Amino acid sequence: MPTDVIMPQLGESIAEGTIVKWLIPQGGHVEKDQPLLEVETDKVSLEVPSPSTGYLNEVLVTEGQTVPVGTLLARLESDAAPRGVVTRVGGVVIRHMEPAPGEEDHYSPAVRQLAREHDVDLAQVAGTGAGGRVTKKDVLDFVAKRSGMQTRAAPAAPVTVSAEEALPLTPMRRTIAERMVASRRTSAHVTTFFEADFSGPAKVRDAHGLTYLPFAIKAVTRALRDLPIVNSSWTDQGIVIKKDIHIGIAVALEDGLLVPVVRHADRKGLQQLAKEVADLAERARTKRLSPEEVQGGTFTVTNHGVMGSLFSTPIISQPQIAILGLGAVQKRAVVIHDAIGIRPMAYLSLSFDHRVIDGATADQFMSKVKGYLEQTNWETDL
Amino acid sequence: MPTATAGKEVTYLEAISQALDEEMTRDERVFLMGEDIGTYGGAFKITEGFLDKYGEWRVLDTPLAESGFVGAGIGAAMMGMRPVVEMQFADFISCAFDQITEVAGTAYYRFRSQVPLVIRAPYGGGVHGGPFHSECPEGWFFHSPGLKIVVPATAYDAKGLLKAAIRDPNPVIYFEHKFLYRRIKEVLPVEDYTVPLGVAAVRREGTDISVITYGAMVYVALEAAEQLAKEGIDLEVVDLRSLIPLDKQTVFASVRKTSKAIVLHEDNKTGGVGAEIAALLAEECFDSLDGPIVRIAAPDTPIPFSAPLEEFYIPKTSDVVAAARKLAAY
Amino acid sequence: MDLATVAKEIKPADLLQMYYYVRLTRTLEDRITALYRQGRIMGGVYTSNGMEAISVGYASALERDDVIAPYHRDMGAFLLRGITPGEVFAQYLGKKTGPTRGKDGNVHLGDLKRGIIGFVSHLADNLPVATGAALAFKLRDESRVVVTNTGDGGTSRGDFHEALNFASVRKLPVVFFCNNNQYAYSTPLRYQMAIRDVVERAKAYAMPGEIVDGNDVAAVYLAAKRAIARARAGEGPTFIEAKTMRMHGHSEHDAAKYVPRELLEEWKKKDPILKAEQILTQLGYADEAKFREVQERAKKEVEAGLAFAEQSPLPEGPETLEGVFAEERDL
Repeated sequence: MPTDVIMPQLGESIAEGTIVKWLIPQGGHVEKDQPLLEVETDKVSLEVPSPSTGYLNEVLVTEGQTVPVGTLLARLESDAAPRGVVTRVGGVVIRHMEPAPGEEDHYSPAVRQLAREHDVDLAQVAGTGAGGRVTKKDVLDFVAKRSGMQTRAAPAAPVTVSAEEALPLTPMRRTIAERMVASRRTSAHVTTFFEADFSGPAKVRDAHGLTYLPFAIKAVTRALRDLPIVNSSWTDQGIVIKKDIHIGIAVALEDGLLVPVVRHADRKGLQQLAKEVADLAERARTKRLSPEEVQGGTFTVTNHGVMGSLFSTPIISQPQIAILGLGAVQKRAVVIHDAIGIRPMAYLSLSFDHRVIDGATADQFMSKVKGYLEQTNWETDL
Repeated sequence: MPTATAGKEVTYLEAISQALDEEMTRDERVFLMGEDIGTYGGAFKITEGFLDKYGEWRVLDTPLAESGFVGAGIGAAMMGMRPVVEMQFADFISCAFDQITEVAGTAYYRFRSQVPLVIRAPYGGGVHGGPFHSECPEGWFFHSPGLKIVVPATAYDAKGLLKAAIRDPNPVIYFEHKFLYRRIKEVLPVEDYTVPLGVAAVRREGTDISVITYGAMVYVALEAAEQLAKEGIDLEVVDLRSLIPLDKQTVFASVRKTSKAIVLHEDNKTGGVGAEIAALLAEECFDSLDGPIVRIAAPDTPIPFSAPLEEFYIPKTSDVVAAARKLAAY
Repeated sequence: MDLATVAKEIKPADLLQMYYYVRLTRTLEDRITALYRQGRIMGGVYTSNGMEAISVGYASALERDDVIAPYHRDMGAFLLRGITPGEVFAQYLGKKTGPTRGKDGNVHLGDLKRGIIGFVSHLADNLPVATGAALAFKLRDESRVVVTNTGDGGTSRGDFHEALNFASVRKLPVVFFCNNNQYAYSTPLRYQMAIRDVVERAKAYAMPGEIVDGNDVAAVYLAAKRAIARARAGEGPTFIEAKTMRMHGHSEHDAAKYVPRELLEEWKKKDPILKAEQILTQLGYADEAKFREVQERAKKEVEAGLAFAEQSPLPEGPETLEGVFAEERDL
């Protein structure tokens, strides 16, 4: 319990007093009845004894100030003040921000985590923080200096730490991570699922040795022509509708993914699309794509079904506003004219940015994609 | 009545007016209840002109009975209307505490009754209002399950969040900061837009310290950031915009990046929203922390009236600067 | 209630139905009380024993699209709105199949689809909510009415006054019932109010009010019918004080030793079931055999309900976390 130190009444008819000197420094210890401060009035000058034993943690009235009798001058506390207290930030006390003596080699969680990640012996790191402690920046600087001295090598071999294995982050992994998280934070992702009958494409595909992907691309470009709002970007000044249709195709790599772009996909036939997609995918895997070839897409299609996936909730490739996932095409029992038939079916998953379009528009778009897939005379699109 | 005009700057207060006007035009279920909102146009003139435009059965001047008309708002909402009830000052919301926390907050949980009610509450100090015209009561409701809370700081958010709140099927308490009413202006889009609940906004990117804040304190943080930039201390300022739901991901991402956090709000310190955020940071971002979590808030006192007392009470730029310097040096 | 009026205003089948529901309410709540005493029901049990005519009376006067904002002694109204005994037992037993799926207990039932606004334990909170529902009907020009109820105790709270005032000022289509059973827990009327009849409060809000015999289901029904018709015609709210006696304690754990025995003896003679049987007999609509048949039917219905509830599953722990917020339906 803190003890109040108040301005005493130093005589009858005395209404105020001036603090001449605090005899104990702020934060210092004082015994009961030990002289604590010197006070002066127009009549008398006196030493005021401390009302209790404690630490002079809070001094509210400074030397030279004159205050009325009874004013709270200071508080004595039974415990020493936390070290390095920031004198009241406005109305509240901010906790101490210096390591206690003897704890300068106390490492913060961030510092320990970084040391683990980068395999750093903290004893070797110089500390520039408060009280000489090692800061996060100190560790990062140490790592930067250390790697600057090493020759450029292939990504480091995994380091075994007891029961775990730490894989260093490759630039591609970092980029993918940043982009995915940023996209999720930017767009209001909603995914809507449709099912399409691929009998039409199946016939033509088998005859001409194509995959289902070009059919999906073609149906998408047509639907984008019908609903240009889906071929757009969000900006603070407004939604920018792109006049050209460039379809990004997600290509899985050994250790990541790339999205090369098929330019003006709406102007190309199925066979040309198939050829281009194959070529872009091959060059993506062998790292022979130019930077322009992974830029400028206005809509993306991802063929997640190749590995058997049925549904997906793909992440939009910014600054586009939608991405279509083509699920695995499987023969399913379906109802046709009130009878059961077998058809090759696939689920189409459209993730769209709800800032730009609403569910109704998204579903309209998907209805069109489905309609084009099912009803186009594909022979004429070769 | 302010109408949305392309390219024209709109104040935070006008943005609120526009949101109400547009929603009332768009959806006939939306109606207003509150003291002095009709003939008088509202204590802050936010509903000036509404009575003439929408009539006395969509802009109801209520008796002085917060519990009564918040309860009525709940009943009307249960029957499918979309009432927007106004507390003349957020300080008076305590009169309706029972209806808000016990009735509105538990209705959906207990018997799946949606209560699409919005309660608008002008809050915050800095206007010499004294203890009962300056309160920040969001902490009481932050703690009560079943209620959503939004705290816009910009005119854009004031409009977008109010629209989103009106369209939300849950009870939403919309805290509008009276200090910002006429001090904040920006050009707003003319067409309809909403700001989703539960999404924070990074107002200033930085690398050294994350300042997690909301309401008028966003501007205090930004001012401190300007000053500190000159000293080589780079603040990141995260404007929460919503308290419930809370955008933990953005907050955590920020602190994981900077490793140091200041939580700043105008409400009293003990048990305020900042206490929850500090606890969350300790729980979820422990391994990323390179310094103690700092809370800057008002002291645990009622809000005093006299200018030097109020100035001492409300966190200001110099407070943030002082704390940030210490934390940066740690 | 004079027989001539009853004969003129109420069809025999309707009066019989009201009698059935009074009996059903009594049977159901007696069973609940028994289960409570056997330790099979946890928490508080608040019955409307001796007061069944009030809820049955007013609920019988409602149209399908009307809404009620009841309190905890309105079991008859719940049953008339379509809550089954099975659902009531499930609710009391905390089962998943109850209307609140275990989230709330005893008679805190609510279901907007059946026009029941679920209430909270804070008495008279339901009254402002009732005025809001009535306001919605008025704003939308619907000819629907809200009937709400609270005890003499509830009329001391601020919300009671704020609601009556608002309903009066705005002429809302709401009927305010007050179940004056003379005791709020252990507090008799003389420590609750300086006025003699609760209905005097209505005058302060320029609201028409009347006193009705709360143990006479026909009288309650006719009073409610009149008030509901007024509301539906746009004439505003009415206050109906139903005088009755709380025959059991405040809740079933309360022995209510503070109630003078003579008072209970006096009111036992006016039991709503007895009263209804007297009228039905005097009008020639039913006889002892019929009354026994009704009793049997009610018993069967209640037992079937209990069986349903006993066979129903309890909710699982993690369900605690579900259903705090409604999801967006339209944007």
